[in-house]
Amino acid sequence: MSGVTAEAWVLGADVGGTFTDLVLAGRSGAVHAAKVPTTPADPIDGIVRGVTEVLGVAGVDAADVTRFVHGTTLATNVILQRTGAPVALVTTEGFADLLRLGRAARVEEDRYDVHFTPAPPPVDPRLTFEVRERIDASGTVLVPLSDAAVEKVVAQVAAEAPAGVAVCLLHAYARPDHEEAVASALRAALPDAFVACSSDVWPEMREYERAMTTVVSAVVGPVMSRYLDELGSRLRAIDITCDVQVMDSAGDVMTAARAAAHPVSTVESGGAAGVLAAGMVGRAAGAGDVISFDMGGTTAKTGIVRDGRPAITHDFQVGGKGSFGGARAGTGIPLKVPVVDLAEVGAGGGSIAAVDGGILRVGPRSAGADPGPACYGRGGTEPTVTDADLVLGYLDPTRLAGGVTLSPERARAALLARVAGPLGIDVVDAARAVHDIVNATMAAAIRVVTVQRGIDPRDFALVGFGGAGPMHVSRLADEFGIATVIVPWAAGVASAVGLVRADLGAEHRRPFPADLDTLDAVAFDTTFRALEERARDEIGGGDADVHRAAFMRVVGQVHALEVPLLDGPIDEVVATLPRRFSERYVAAYGVVPAPRLQVTALRVRVVRPTGAAPTVRELDVEPHGRTPEPVASRPASFAEHPGFVTTPVFDWARLVPGDRIPGAAIVQALDTTVVVPPGRVAVLDHSRNLVLHR
Amino acid sequence: MTTVEDAITGEIVRNGLVVAAEEASIVVVRAGHSAHIQEGADACAAVLDAEGQLVALSTATSLMHAASLRCSLPALVEDFPPATMAPGDVYALNDPYRGGIHANDLLVFRPVFADGRVTFFAGTLIHVADVGGVSAAGLAALATDTFVEGLLLPPVHLARAGVPADDVLRIIRRNSRTPDKVAGDVQALVAGVNVIARRVEELQDRFGADAVGRCAHRDMDDSERRMRASLAELPAGRYEGSFTIDSDGMEARSFAVRVAVTLDGTGNVDVDLAGTSAQAKGAINSSVSQTLSGILYAVRCFVDPAIVMNEGCFRPLSVHLPRGTLVNPEPPAACGGRLVTVAAATEAILEALARAQPGGAVAASSLIQVYALSGAWPDGSTWLNLLYEFGGLGARVGADGPDATGAFFLGGRSVIPQVEPLEAQYPFVVRSARLLPDSGGPGTWRGGLGVETVIELLAPARLTVRGDRLGAHPPPGTRGGEPGRPGSFSIERVDGSIEAVAARQTDVPLEPGDRFVLRTSGGGGLGPAHERDPALVRDDIAAGGVTPEGAVRDYGVDA
Repeated sequence: MSGVTAEAWVLGADVGGTFTDLVLAGRSGAVHAAKVPTTPADPIDGIVRGVTEVLGVAGVDAADVTRFVHGTTLATNVILQRTGAPVALVTTEGFADLLRLGRAARVEEDRYDVHFTPAPPPVDPRLTFEVRERIDASGTVLVPLSDAAVEKVVAQVAAEAPAGVAVCLLHAYARPDHEEAVASALRAALPDAFVACSSDVWPEMREYERAMTTVVSAVVGPVMSRYLDELGSRLRAIDITCDVQVMDSAGDVMTAARAAAHPVSTVESGGAAGVLAAGMVGRAAGAGDVISFDMGGTTAKTGIVRDGRPAITHDFQVGGKGSFGGARAGTGIPLKVPVVDLAEVGAGGGSIAAVDGGILRVGPRSAGADPGPACYGRGGTEPTVTDADLVLGYLDPTRLAGGVTLSPERARAALLARVAGPLGIDVVDAARAVHDIVNATMAAAIRVVTVQRGIDPRDFALVGFGGAGPMHVSRLADEFGIATVIVPWAAGVASAVGLVRADLGAEHRRPFPADLDTLDAVAFDTTFRALEERARDEIGGGDADVHRAAFMRVVGQVHALEVPLLDGPIDEVVATLPRRFSERYVAAYGVVPAPRLQVTALRVRVVRPTGAAPTVRELDVEPHGRTPEPVASRPASFAEHPGFVTTPVFDWARLVPGDRIPGAAIVQALDTTVVVPPGRVAVLDHSRNLVLHR
Repeated sequence: MTTVEDAITGEIVRNGLVVAAEEASIVVVRAGHSAHIQEGADACAAVLDAEGQLVALSTATSLMHAASLRCSLPALVEDFPPATMAPGDVYALNDPYRGGIHANDLLVFRPVFADGRVTFFAGTLIHVADVGGVSAAGLAALATDTFVEGLLLPPVHLARAGVPADDVLRIIRRNSRTPDKVAGDVQALVAGVNVIARRVEELQDRFGADAVGRCAHRDMDDSERRMRASLAELPAGRYEGSFTIDSDGMEARSFAVRVAVTLDGTGNVDVDLAGTSAQAKGAINSSVSQTLSGILYAVRCFVDPAIVMNEGCFRPLSVHLPRGTLVNPEPPAACGGRLVTVAAATEAILEALARAQPGGAVAASSLIQVYALSGAWPDGSTWLNLLYEFGGLGARVGADGPDATGAFFLGGRSVIPQVEPLEAQYPFVVRSARLLPDSGGPGTWRGGLGVETVIELLAPARLTVRGDRLGAHPPPGTRGGEPGRPGSFSIERVDGSIEAVAARQTDVPLEPGDRFVLRTSGGGGLGPAHERDPALVRDDIAAGGVTPEGAVRDYGVDA
């Protein structure tokens, strides 16, 4: 210990496909970051190296780290690469083919492929077993579960000695006791197996998605447990003794124990952290509703934050696909967990530009990290978005994260050979066209994402981060007429910043089908309390904020809307439900709902603010009119001016809150470059984020 | 004449046009009230140019409608020449004999203007809620003319210069069993064309109407060039194919779709459906636009799948559809069950083109089996559920057919309701849903398996069914492969007796305890069964796709 006055530090570790980002945040607001290559064979190796590096840079003692929050792609990797151990499935008699029948869809180009074959089910048919029992939708037993039936199926499963077993019986959400009886007998017979029950994993209607989610839990569970144990022990070896916590897919942080017990919750761990970070910087800048825009080397991801919370989907699919960054139903492995709603398109710094049929196109092919853009000088000869950004003068040729020196000559040569030459235009015009086209591609994804969710993007601020995001975000905002653009401090490691600022939380949901006219307020309240108690247990008890919501719909409709409830006596809360629903309905569909309403499900989210994150301050910075001194200048090209203009370059680290930088300008940090185009003015807020106004 | 600017902005304009169509399709699917259009199963949106050419089509919607909007726009401009149109005009039509499909598929158009002239058209289509006709379920399996299939609209105004023309909507409402739902669907279609019009106007403001027009033409030319290049890779020749349809449910004859596909080796393809059976008395006739969607789909299975869908995909095709046949009927032949014929045309072309490209050979697939269960709740109100199930797909060269999934141009099994939500809403219990062992057509490559679903009624009900490729005409095999096992509809009465139900039958009474048994057909096999790798047969036995007895009988393989 460094003494009683020691700063309490929080470490965030976000493991991505290419880089592992580390952020170390102090209670006073100090932030340090490190970026190291991800070590896919043993990701903990990269984490330990990054932790050591960031502690060294900051001069912080490992023992002063009081919290460690992890963003991991482990679950996704296990699911997509099918590296988990084989598991068995036990289901109701008559339905052994539940997963084989499947719900696969053919979309887009697959529809023309006569050789298209749906992915095989995640459980070998030989490991799928039926048990004689039947429950109906009201929870009434139609066929009792006998001891003999349990013994028979347990013997069948035990003979195969699987690493895990998923139990999914029809209508178990309405009555879990048959599942529980089968599961406890399985646990007794197979003490080392990971046994998951569907009524525990996702207690809701729709047997296919519930079975899939349960099976994936059983596949990933043992891997996640081992991994988190190993991570804990290797962190302790470098004197980090605090508990490991894990970001879940909806933007809450959970304990390692909960992550191991419910591993599917981590499936979009890193993505959730990024959207969460975008929401936080939006709030700090006084913007409650933001669109997050994370542009890296190969893909751009977009999410939505409303009222400070990331938009969540309950229809997530691992490996799903569809046009414009969407995931169409039936194209991946469905997981019924709340997941931050992201659209991902193949547009990034590495996207390749080519003239095809006389028209310039950008992407979806990417130069990736190897050979990378032509300007990396690693053998890449095809021009990329990064090459265009370099030729336009946006990127500094003398530095980039990872210490690569960029070659403008190679970038220019590639653009000349593949774009400018074939089209008979100037290299700079070619570079600007590449920059504009990739923006249009990303704008298309944002357009579709927002329309699908009934949102007008002009009402939102756009938060740009990731390696390439801050260079493109302002022009992207112009495509929609978005007035406010925000680039967060440490934009190159924004997801890891989201990790250290996130709160410990848990949420639970349960079906509660009831017509509003005859709703039993006592049962309504009791169900909420039960959900709340369970969620509190999972975050280890203590003080917590409780958020209740009801899913409601008009009688006869399929889709329900989530209605957040106010605090107060339960009768009053119930009395306000029609008005609350109506407000949401009008906002979503633009018309007043029909009068007969139903409740379908209840949800509780319990959050314990950790206090480890620095207090977020409202934006109260009046631009003091000071335009700081540039540290350099370089020629850069903008659509508004012919040729190049001498553009001032500012060092982000030297700016002070209230500094005002009119475009055209470039703001550089170690890990990112912000382009302030003509017509926008950048102001540094108290949290060191840049807010770019029109 | 294109310019360098077009080369640079072309991708941005193309993106803008495609997104306009996509956005409109999302709007109509989201706002629509009919369960059929969930997941975009029966919807589409498009940008068309002033000549009626397809510029951009929504992607997340059914390929069944690739030709629908472009085939019906000529009827609109025939009745209302563009010179007479005003900004804010909106039109509707659904006449299958003027480019439409059947009564429930409503098409809506809006002209887009620049400098006082029509430059583009916005179009949207969804399967709307009830528009009258003999069947509330939309399953008029035994209709014999369009008059009993529902209200037909020639091109009519829904709005004039931005002012709603309520007369037509009032007529539609009055003819519908669900007036509010159908009105909501019409409003969704109008919202969709309004979105496209706004987006195209924005593009015209930004880049100029002439440039947007040039880019649209360039996109169409580009798809045409790619189609021709891809088609030119197939060996020139005349290739024949045919497919037999069991029955139309009315006449005592079977029907055939016959096709001769001629490739000239330079990228032109001629599709001649001469020899196809005369139109049916029953509802299996396919209007021109539906037939063309099916033809284009089948041809596209043999070219680069990445080609962007627009008018350029149609241009290399010359199509001959003899009048008075299943594929180009004379009015007032009923068209509601046209899927049977579209699928037959598709498979006939797949068969023909597989002669040109042997690696693309596919045995025939099962066809969707539709059924409706209905009854009365204790309070006297009716309940009705329209359901379907898929069977096996045909075997391919080098691969077995997928099990229990929709014929190729249909999306797949993701649209089939699950057991739990069904049981929560309706008075029946699903006792089992199992793949049928041995149902896949034996072959070197096996056809996909069919499914057996057993539904036990808890209350009195009525059953209506529609299926094809059952009975005497199961999906045939190819190249020595054997047909799939035919599917069926039957009832296990509570007294233990078993009743067969015909492939097309309406209002069969069911009592509590009766079990409705639906079996879908297996896909056809490809190649001689005795040439199948015995290891694959043993894998099938282990996974339950083939029984040990079936292995001996069909493959001569002992487990």
